Amino acid sequence: MYTATSSLNILGKEQFELKLSFVLISLLLLVILGWPLYSILGQSFFTDEGSFTLMNYAEAFSKKSFYTALGHSLTVSGCVAFFATIIAFFAAYGLNFCAFRPRTRSLIQIVLLLPLFLPSITYGFAVIYSFGRQGLVTQIFGRLPFSIYGFNGLLIAGVIYTLPPAFMIMNNAFAYVDRNFITVSKVMGDSPLRTFYQTALRPVLGSAAAAFILSFFLIFTDFGIPTSIAGRYEVIATQLYAVMMGAIPDFHNGSVIAMVMLLPSILSVIILRQCERLNFRYNKLSKTPPAPQILRDYSFAAFYLLLTLLLLSVFAIIFIVPFVQSWPYQPVFTLDTIKRVFAENDITGTYLNSLYVAVLTAVLGTALCYLAGMVNARSHLAPWCRTLMDVFAMVTNTVPGMVLGVGFLFAFTGSPITNTFAILVLANIVHFFTTPYLMAQQAFSRMNAGFETTGALMGDTWSETLRRVVIPNTFSTILQMLSYFFVNAMVTISAIVFLAGARTQVMTSKIKELQYFEKFDAIFTLSLLIFLTNCAVKLLLDFWAESRARRLKAQQD
Amino acid sequence: MLELRGVTKKFDDNTVLDNINLEVETGSIVSILGPSGCGKTTLLNVILGLTELTSGQIIYDGEDLTHVPMKKRGFNIVFQDFALFPNLNAYENIVYGLRNNPTASTPEEVRDLIDLLDLKKHLKKRIDELSGGQKQRVAIARTLVMKPRLLLLDEPLSALDGMIKESIKERIKTVARQFNLTTIIVTHDPEEALSLSDKVLILNGGHVSQYADPRTIVHAPSNTFIRDFILRQLQIKRDNIFRLFDGSAPQGSTLMASA
Repeated sequence: MYTATSSLNILGKEQFELKLSFVLISLLLLVILGWPLYSILGQSFFTDEGSFTLMNYAEAFSKKSFYTALGHSLTVSGCVAFFATIIAFFAAYGLNFCAFRPRTRSLIQIVLLLPLFLPSITYGFAVIYSFGRQGLVTQIFGRLPFSIYGFNGLLIAGVIYTLPPAFMIMNNAFAYVDRNFITVSKVMGDSPLRTFYQTALRPVLGSAAAAFILSFFLIFTDFGIPTSIAGRYEVIATQLYAVMMGAIPDFHNGSVIAMVMLLPSILSVIILRQCERLNFRYNKLSKTPPAPQILRDYSFAAFYLLLTLLLLSVFAIIFIVPFVQSWPYQPVFTLDTIKRVFAENDITGTYLNSLYVAVLTAVLGTALCYLAGMVNARSHLAPWCRTLMDVFAMVTNTVPGMVLGVGFLFAFTGSPITNTFAILVLANIVHFFTTPYLMAQQAFSRMNAGFETTGALMGDTWSETLRRVVIPNTFSTILQMLSYFFVNAMVTISAIVFLAGARTQVMTSKIKELQYFEKFDAIFTLSLLIFLTNCAVKLLLDFWAESRARRLKAQQD
Repeated sequence: MLELRGVTKKFDDNTVLDNINLEVETGSIVSILGPSGCGKTTLLNVILGLTELTSGQIIYDGEDLTHVPMKKRGFNIVFQDFALFPNLNAYENIVYGLRNNPTASTPEEVRDLIDLLDLKKHLKKRIDELSGGQKQRVAIARTLVMKPRLLLLDEPLSALDGMIKESIKERIKTVARQFNLTTIIVTHDPEEALSLSDKVLILNGGHVSQYADPRTIVHAPSNTFIRDFILRQLQIKRDNIFRLFDGSAPQGSTLMASA
């Protein structure tokens, strides 16, 4: 007679392979996430001799400059988040509630998401070259009544930087808002203002709060924008960089600043979870087409035109500087600048380094997140094992890139991976783990629960079902994950600025280096290369996904 | 013959199946019937090998399968939502298992199966182009290609409606007879269970309430649960239909004799 005490591995290899994946993923993340965080904590609470101390905190908190930087960071982040959320709200509202053609809609979306393909450090330089004393916009429209350095520049560049993610959150929320309620509200005799509140504002209030928090978090922890445009307006990110990479690095002070940087991030994640409760739950995409209304539709068309012009006015400079003799003194078309930039700065080597890191990050990161998503959504492992994957995703989401970079510096200096591409790839994978993990997890949750059992009953091993059924049915998600990792690895600077060595220089760290020599033509050439590469990879992966879908359909027709 | 001896399944302290004893003759159709949460899907998973037993034995043709992994039991299942692979067309789904076991069915046998289930004109269709009934037939064909010695069907008719339901019922019977295939069906619908099966196992709260042929269950229900919850549904349905056609409900009822 069989009893529960005897062991029976009913699912055979499936359990084994997912168990092994679980163990390997957990060990890897403990090393590349847990250890760096523990190292920061250790640096902040212990002396060089290893004894416990609160002196590091006392010292950091006694400096006036720390409070000034913190105050600046909070002010800038709050203002950026406020403006970005409002603009994102109306941009998404117009797109979902105005009677635009589908093609117009896609075009607006593409324009609003374009900044994602550029590193944030470029935004600052682009704003200077557009709105500064010799800037493109200044030359056309005259000087601005305020200085572009410091708060104003941070605000403009910050809004551009956070607009795409804030817009994505709002657009996704609006896509699910049922437009039939507009008719219901009107029939009930509501005033236009009340209709707007009931049918548009109230249903997405939670998402608006989420967009605000996310924008705040992104700016508070960003290094690229302040390093390019903050000037003497010191913020927490530039202070951390100065402390860590200055003439006399102070690791203890750096670790305290990193801990302080971690706090708003943890708060953001907690508040974001609360925001979800504010949201209305709609299950289906709204299918009711928006009714045409000439005044509203034209007003929004004008709004999009203005937004497009503003974005283009900032980014146009990136496409101009590399192709003119000398901006702004000799604005004559030439290819000499690009040739010179390539000849002088070993751009090709740096570019290949970046490509190498981005491709490895994309492939290895996607594989890791895919397996982690599978452990969470498709395994029969104990609930705590599956929850642990979510915990990893939540923690990685909480840790800002700069903090991660500092943690890696503390944890791995002197180890065999110092100054290697491996350390950059690992840092990128941890830094961008959350979103691709959630993509995979959602794809697996939506997939029919009986696929693996059916495959096994048809004689498949676990890996055969993975190859024949699971991967083909999640292929578009895999491509999205690859694309996300690649683009982010190409544009990130915050984590890798502490880790890239002379031999492992990548594009964004090279931009930072070129800033010291004021080689802006080279900076914009590099930015252009990053932008074009990202566009090409995105188009390639989208084309791959589409042609595969077409081929499958053609085969079956 | 399939035998369950003292099958018990507990999830933590919750006993879902309590000492189930059952014998299923080879080639017969048996339905497991009961309300939601009575343990019928757990029993199906236990027989399939997807869920471990807490205690008890599963025996097939004298062979103790209790310790045998799911893949080696030679049983197969059609899930409620069919679990057809969307990246493959209908035909590729049907022959999916042949790549692993090319000798399971000959090309002639596959062709006969396709004819039997009337799937010839749907073979190149994508899964999302098939109707509910067609999906059901593709899923049945896919499992039969592997020549299982026992076929499990989880709520096979719940996603279907009207005449398609009747047609699938007939096909299930035809397949079971033609292949002499022991078939176990899980359903919550008494009409389905009683009209489709040779024997019906009625579960209530993890216990066997009655295990008998449909006539015995209708005419000699063993307890009030079967009378009040199982047969009462059929009574109401029958009365509604009579009213619709004759304008009045029939006088008296053997179904409700002692309800």
